Amino acid sequence: MLQKPESGALPIPQAEGEKDGDRDGETQALTASQNEVPSPFLQESPKEDLGARKEEGATESALTPKGSRTLAAKALARRRAYRRLDRTVAELVQFLLVKDKKKSPITRSEMVKYVIGDLKDLFPEIIARAAEHLRYVFGFELKQFGRKHHTYILVNKFKPLEEEEEVEEEDLGGDGPRLGLLIMILGLIYMKGNSARETQVWEMLRRLGVRPSKYHFLFGYPKRLIMEDFVQQRYLNYRQVPHTNPPECEFSWGPRSNLEISKMKVLGFVAKLHKKEPQHWPVQYREALADEADRARAKARAEASMRARARARARATDRAGIYPW
Amino acid sequence: MTDVHRRFLQLLMTHGVLEEWDVRRLQKHCYRVHDRTAAVEELEDFINNINSVLESLYIEIKKGATEDDGRPVYALVNLATTSVSKMASDFAENELDLFRKALELIIDSETGFASSTNILNLVDQLKGKKMRKKEAEQVLQKFVQNKWLIEKEGEFTLHSRAILEMEQYIRETYPDAVKICNICHSLLIQGQSCETCGIRMHLPCVAKYFQSNSEPRCPHCNDYWPHEIPEVFDPEKEREAGTSRATKRSLRSRQH
Repeated sequence: MLQKPESGALPIPQAEGEKDGDRDGETQALTASQNEVPSPFLQESPKEDLGARKEEGATESALTPKGSRTLAAKALARRRAYRRLDRTVAELVQFLLVKDKKKSPITRSEMVKYVIGDLKDLFPEIIARAAEHLRYVFGFELKQFGRKHHTYILVNKFKPLEEEEEVEEEDLGGDGPRLGLLIMILGLIYMKGNSARETQVWEMLRRLGVRPSKYHFLFGYPKRLIMEDFVQQRYLNYRQVPHTNPPECEFSWGPRSNLEISKMKVLGFVAKLHKKEPQHWPVQYREALADEADRARAKARAEASMRARARARARATDRAGIYPW
Repeated sequence: MTDVHRRFLQLLMTHGVLEEWDVRRLQKHCYRVHDRTAAVEELEDFINNINSVLESLYIEIKKGATEDDGRPVYALVNLATTSVSKMASDFAENELDLFRKALELIIDSETGFASSTNILNLVDQLKGKKMRKKEAEQVLQKFVQNKWLIEKEGEFTLHSRAILEMEQYIRETYPDAVKICNICHSLLIQGQSCETCGIRMHLPCVAKYFQSNSEPRCPHCNDYWPHEIPEVFDPEKEREAGTSRATKRSLRSRQH
């Protein structure tokens, strides 16, 4: 008899009814459906517990004509709100995909400003569902960049490709050559002790026939690609070297490079270029080995905590019954 | 939904729009990477399966054709009609307005092309931060690079990607100015028109409709069709043409 929360997905708007009797509950539900205000969501569970006894009274009214109209209006409001939530999740998924294509990290405030709007109190749920879609449909992991800064990026969850597969994939479109250029620069930076002067980078590229401001049929305008795009996408860091006169600037690996590729891989690439083994450069080789060990440790830790969180979330969402699959 | 499908989606998204032969190569590549033993599913079914999963996200893989020579193309498009939404996060307010101005000129034009000069002359009317003509030229190039516009000899028209993505938006926003093909009833930017009654047809639609017809007549008013009938796009002929990949790529990059 007692109207229990519908698998907890949306607290029943009847919680509103307890305020000032049925009439107000009806008006509120109708208003909710007219304005598509997601008030149902904001009525959280605590009220349901408190309202348990009062709901008995409300249940009786459900049997009267006025009561059933109230129920219908509230059901409509619930469905609309549910659809609106779905829509917002879908928009957030698209927003994240488009933003990630630019490779610039996405902040929580951007998401709220452009997509989530007044549903921002539901941010955790919306982003969790968006993350699930991104993982299941596209194979992307939504990773939080800095806990304090609320920035996110998408990381491909695929295993890295075999060499021939990679060549094949690059062949399919235009991104390959640019990333090849990036790896050359990352290699130079690494071999020079994790930072390279800007002049050194341009010198290397000049030897490859690439000039900063001359349009290149593969890279476009190299200067813009390297100084703006790669830096903005966090593949490279660019800073002025202190105490240099005239002031000089240097490049180092950006955080995204550290996430998407490893020192060992880049060393391997450089080694192949020179037709030697990675061990030919003992200092860099040792450093790369240490880096590999660090990564393995970090990965193990992350996997353990993710499993724990997934278990906790599965328990919570099972109760809420949010996920349709 | 397997990794084969996911990689396919990722790569399709990376390119924005792909021609059919590239899409088939892409599909085979994804099978090779993730499921060597499986049989490659028929492309149409493969795409329909992915689309059924994408439905809840209000997006789909849509098939269209290039307006100049009827090459089939595929793009991942938004099902909900939000205006220029995919561009909105990539471009600044004044850049988006420049695109809108170019779009309007293109739709209003007779040929489906808007000249660079005419677009740049509207730079003063743009919303947002003030943009100089020099800057606007570069923004137009950015649109070309991102496959929203095509440039041919100083004139701009819509890339097939933009047509796929924005057809609904364009039809709803410019209902009076918009041109429709008499054969396929889709949005028409470039095409041929009957000089008597004014109906229009896409070039590939003309090719198919008048195929092996020695006396082409307007389907609406029956007057002689005064234009040259183009060839029907034949993917087999395309591959046999024997053009080296390098020249093919440079050709494609000029058109698309």
